[in-house]
Amino acid sequence: MTSTGSLRDPAHRVSPKAVKLWLFEALIGFLVLVGGSVLLAAWVGESGWSWVPGWFAERPWVLPAAMGVLLTPFLVAEPFVRYAVHRWELSGDVVYARTGFLTREWVFVPVSRIQTVDKAQGWMERLLGLATLEIRTASHAGSSTIKGLDYEVAAGLAEQLARRAEELRDDAT
Amino acid sequence: MLLIDPVRMLPNLLVPLVGVLFVGGFSSRSYVWAAVGVVGTVVFALIRWATLTYEIVGDRLEITRSLVSRSVRTIPLERIRGVDVSIPPLHRLLGLAVLKIDTGASGGEEEGKLDGITLEEAERLKAALLRRATAARIEAAAGAAAAGAPHETAHPEAVEAAGAHVTAERTIISVPRRWLLYGPLSGAYLFTPFALAGGAIGLAFQWGDQFGLGREAAWTVGEWLWDHPYLVLVAVLLLVLAMPFVGAVMYAVFHWNFRLKERDGYLVAERGLINRRSVSLESRRVRGYEIVDAPAERWAGVVRVWAIVTGLGDSSTRGQLLPDVPRAVALQITADAIGPFRAELRPHPPVARRRRLFRAVFPWLALFAVAALSGLATRTPPWWILAVLALLLAGLGVPLGADRYRSLGHGYDGVRLSVRSGSLRRAQAVVERRAVVGWRLRQTWFQRRAGVYTLTAGVGAGQGGYTAIDVSPGQATGFPAEVTPDWLAPFVEDAPTQPRSL
Repeated sequence: MTSTGSLRDPAHRVSPKAVKLWLFEALIGFLVLVGGSVLLAAWVGESGWSWVPGWFAERPWVLPAAMGVLLTPFLVAEPFVRYAVHRWELSGDVVYARTGFLTREWVFVPVSRIQTVDKAQGWMERLLGLATLEIRTASHAGSSTIKGLDYEVAAGLAEQLARRAEELRDDAT
Repeated sequence: MLLIDPVRMLPNLLVPLVGVLFVGGFSSRSYVWAAVGVVGTVVFALIRWATLTYEIVGDRLEITRSLVSRSVRTIPLERIRGVDVSIPPLHRLLGLAVLKIDTGASGGEEEGKLDGITLEEAERLKAALLRRATAARIEAAAGAAAAGAPHETAHPEAVEAAGAHVTAERTIISVPRRWLLYGPLSGAYLFTPFALAGGAIGLAFQWGDQFGLGREAAWTVGEWLWDHPYLVLVAVLLLVLAMPFVGAVMYAVFHWNFRLKERDGYLVAERGLINRRSVSLESRRVRGYEIVDAPAERWAGVVRVWAIVTGLGDSSTRGQLLPDVPRAVALQITADAIGPFRAELRPHPPVARRRRLFRAVFPWLALFAVAALSGLATRTPPWWILAVLALLLAGLGVPLGADRYRSLGHGYDGVRLSVRSGSLRRAQAVVERRAVVGWRLRQTWFQRRAGVYTLTAGVGAGQGGYTAIDVSPGQATGFPAEVTPDWLAPFVEDAPTQPRSL
């Protein structure tokens, strides 16, 4: 082993506006799950199946309520945790990015192995002036997606990476 | 030659033909229809055969079909990555072959296929295509170099050798027949007897219907069997006893006379008794290999080997380099044909053992708890049976988890890195350093509490990534830093502290 040093944080945070984006996405997930449990509770509650306990058949709203109570902390925490975790950096011709909420990921992609650099914008991202940078190599495990960048930052980084990748092109793979 | 294609299609016709005769009854009318069908198909096949032409034009292969509309498929020779020649049984009777051209395109649509050319023509065309493909690539590379583009040629010596049009062929190994006996240990084809029995029963039902033996007959048979449970038991027992034998036969049929050769910068694997298959892998694109074994194979000391190749579709069947051979032989051949791995695998931290054991045992224990509680509550035997089964599986999870931990390992010998994991299918991947295109560290919430990471080396070949499971924080940064020191250097602090968790 040549190094037992620890990883430092990537230098740059994503745009603060990304918090709104994650909040919006978390809200959609929240509504889908709670809405789904409302439907499920209504269906099971009225079915009159013998295995459904009596207390549940009388109060089917318990299920969505419990779901809502359980999920609310996640709904509130996710955007802020993500904003703290999601960071990126380009140094020494290597892209270093960290992402995640409950599961964290650190990705290292050397510019010399980059095949394509895309910037993408969903409608919500467009509204907020954000962009997602997709850095692709020949392997999905060596590819990185950086979400929630300011559009100008993403465009500048994409341009810089594409130019540098052209200069460093390495055909080994 | 002209009759070959239609003759080849006749067996395909047999089933619909029989269908027509049965459905329509054996009347003169259905005979007429059947005859029309046969003649129509033969004519169609003849026209199809007559209108398909292929030609090497300059630096590309053109396959032209002009049946109703005209379609020309153009395959640039420099894009050809491999040529497979396979000989299905009927083709063999008639001295024919199927030639498939692999261009590394993702969809099967874009690959070239010439069905029903003579064997000599297939071999000739294969040699010509591969030789010209290599030459075209050298030209392209030379052109790029002359233009001053910073083009790194990965294997100068390989290109030179190919450029000299060496047609020398070297057999690396011809697998002896007695090693076919190792086949059933892999567990492949073991369930063939059950599949065959299922198919036979299905067929019996279909034919029974045709002959007017409807549901009632089936019910009668079912009731009769219910009254004679021992017969069913004996049948199942016979099928179980047949498993290793049928498995061995199937394995032998598919891996008969397995030969690995080296020719013109290609690795060529040939195998098969009835359908003889030959797969060419361009050596230049081989990035490593994967050594696979199941518990029974470990006990016998045999392994199977697959090549890790860039841009090879369907690599699980096409990438096979060696069937079951003794481990020492496999290591020697892979070292010889691709390259050795000369380092020891390092074990993963003890907490990884705890995690493997937990994951192998806990789900079954949970199932046991649920089943036992339900059994207590309802007092019905099925729950107890389920509880006992779950407890048995939980018990089996102990050696399984321990073995999964023993499998875990990673290492680097200066040229190639290697990672290993799995128990029921243990796989050790050995990949060249230059094939690594990136690194990915992953940590679930549970892993964060245990202080371990999952480290994946992104590789632009094979599965796209090879993973070391549950490495320690030191290994998580130390291993990538060891393999590709430049990449991680900017991000590693020298302070020998644990990585910050956030």
